[in-house]
Amino acid sequence: MNFRRSLISSVAGICLMSGAAHAENLTVWSLNYSSDAQVSALDASVVAFEKTHPDVNVEFVKRGTDEHKTALRVASGSDTGPDVYVLWAGLGLGGEYVQAGLSTDLTPYFEKYGWADRLTVPSQAFVEAFADGKHGMPYRFSGEAVYYNMDLFKKAGIDSEPQTYEELKAAAVKLKEAGIAAFTFGGTVNWHVMRLMDVLLETTCGVEKHDALMSMEADWATEPCAVEAFTEMKWWADDYILAPFMGIDHKQAATLWYAERAAMMLEGDWMVNAINESTDISKYGIFPFPTGTDRLYGFAEYMYISTKAKNKELAAEFLDMFSSTEFQTQIVGAFGALSVNKSVKLSDDALDLHKQWIEIFDNAGGTFVNGDQAFPLDVTTEYFRVINELASNNMDPQTAADTMAKFIASNR
Amino acid sequence: MFKLNLFQSARSQALILLIPAFGVYTLFAIWPLIDVVILSFQEWNGISADRKWVGWENYNYIFNNDPVFWVSLKNTVIWTILSIVFPPLVGLLLAIGLNQKLFGRASLRAIYYLPVIIAPIAVATMWRWMYDPFFGLFTQILTDMGLGFLARDWLGDRNIALYSMFVAYVWQHVGFSMVLFLAGLQGVQSTLIDAARIDGASRFEIFRYVTLPALSPTITIVLVLSTISSLRAFDIVYGMTGGGPAQSTQMLAMWAFTQSMQIFDFGRGSAVSVVLLVITLAIVIPYMRWSQAREEAVK
Repeated sequence: MNFRRSLISSVAGICLMSGAAHAENLTVWSLNYSSDAQVSALDASVVAFEKTHPDVNVEFVKRGTDEHKTALRVASGSDTGPDVYVLWAGLGLGGEYVQAGLSTDLTPYFEKYGWADRLTVPSQAFVEAFADGKHGMPYRFSGEAVYYNMDLFKKAGIDSEPQTYEELKAAAVKLKEAGIAAFTFGGTVNWHVMRLMDVLLETTCGVEKHDALMSMEADWATEPCAVEAFTEMKWWADDYILAPFMGIDHKQAATLWYAERAAMMLEGDWMVNAINESTDISKYGIFPFPTGTDRLYGFAEYMYISTKAKNKELAAEFLDMFSSTEFQTQIVGAFGALSVNKSVKLSDDALDLHKQWIEIFDNAGGTFVNGDQAFPLDVTTEYFRVINELASNNMDPQTAADTMAKFIASNR
Repeated sequence: MFKLNLFQSARSQALILLIPAFGVYTLFAIWPLIDVVILSFQEWNGISADRKWVGWENYNYIFNNDPVFWVSLKNTVIWTILSIVFPPLVGLLLAIGLNQKLFGRASLRAIYYLPVIIAPIAVATMWRWMYDPFFGLFTQILTDMGLGFLARDWLGDRNIALYSMFVAYVWQHVGFSMVLFLAGLQGVQSTLIDAARIDGASRFEIFRYVTLPALSPTITIVLVLSTISSLRAFDIVYGMTGGGPAQSTQMLAMWAFTQSMQIFDFGRGSAVSVVLLVITLAIVIPYMRWSQAREEAVK
């Protein structure tokens, strides 16, 4: 009797072990997301993929930004690591890994699954930017624009959304006269204040010169529009940003905006969910920062298949599922107003701000990316420092431009 | 038999006990140290399989072109000077106070020592909130007292951010100095104090001519440990300002980390680390030699 029981137990154990041995793991390394909707969307992707691939375990490893970048570096020097990794698509971020040969060329999968036709054009801007072939599948394209408090605009006597940069400055002056700070930014996270500098460069330089400056082909010291942009930055920092702002972060800045301490905030389309979760969303509006060009300010996040992925076909199937119309419809709005999938539309009962975002996306004639996406990491660090020095009144505009030029010249 | 002899010899026993620890120490401390020195002469982004030998280029860069290196060196020097003055001084005063027969003395000692055992990153988070320029404790207190005009952007103003951080550092580290001084005060012979008192010495004179000389070994230890601890200051900077605003609170340890782990220029980051290592050794080696000489003199 005991022998029979032992035999059955052994056979059952062997069956279980062989089952486990056949199960395949797919590891995805991702950034941490704070919004419940985004976390739920990632969790839903695991459920959806495992449903169609019962013998696959999908493991999402989520980390903070710095930890994620460090983990990728460590993984790049070893034989282990993720099958799929998530990263911003700019030069100093995802682009660096593409150039280092850590991203699989996805051309065969773009053809096999028809991703090029499925995905929106702006979201694919970086796919072929950094190496031969196609690298990364966009899963998110985010735009950034000005959110404003309609009540505060009305209180300051501003009747309509500014259409030009001069109108925006005039609105800022009116707000100040009414005792209201125009913008709120958080200076401890350098990239928040940087957004203002980015859009000012687009405003003063226009498309070609701005692109030339960000690609480090133009000389910051001798390009008058660069000095002009720093001059404008100083104008805003001196009087039209809720002060003090260098000692607070973006979350505190948003809290102050909700508390009506400032009228405007330069934020991304992902902010709509956060506003809706925090306050009465009906009193807010959005308009693109009036740069005078028709380009939309924004950035993309891609999913890359690592060259060290054990099963690239399986990883590609995951990317295909994630960008599919069915799954994107399921998570629409989670990562912003616009899905990367062309066929996915917002539902009729979507939030008004989401609908306004769609209009902004539709009207955009192109895109320009955040400075920290455009520059390599060392230049980004210096760009942050120069902007902060200027905003803290420790550097004048010409010195700021000269400092950028000097750093680029000595490092490139 | 061989086995038996091996364990019977005191030298062999010592070797057997030391070798595993030495192996671990070599792997996790000595080798990384050597590797950092090698890396400081190379160019490596953490991704590339090859490390390119660039000679003194990284050192040339950090000394001549790096816009932050000299700021971080200056801040490290300021921080170190402040660290060898204020935490030991406050610690000494607390130790003298808590060496008296007071009600609740043991509890007070524990309370003052408590911040030492809190993780520095937690201390940084706590103080960052207290320093919030809009809703923080200090701004609120000043505002409630009608002194709102004294409120500052404690961590956002480059003129005061370093010192605001230092206050948090003192709060955390003063307990450490206090405990060492308390231990030192236990060693001051009461007979000497009694004799001085009989000779008519005032309280200050007793402190100046009896207690303080007796505390001199403790003072040396506290100063050296404070110096080493201040040179390594990293987590409190990382947690409170991240080196900002505009890199104005950067310090060598933090800048080495930023270059290596955020900009991913391991060569330059390692060069900064080596500079920090040299400065630390320049302080520690004389101390160790002095300490050895003193021990031999006692023997």
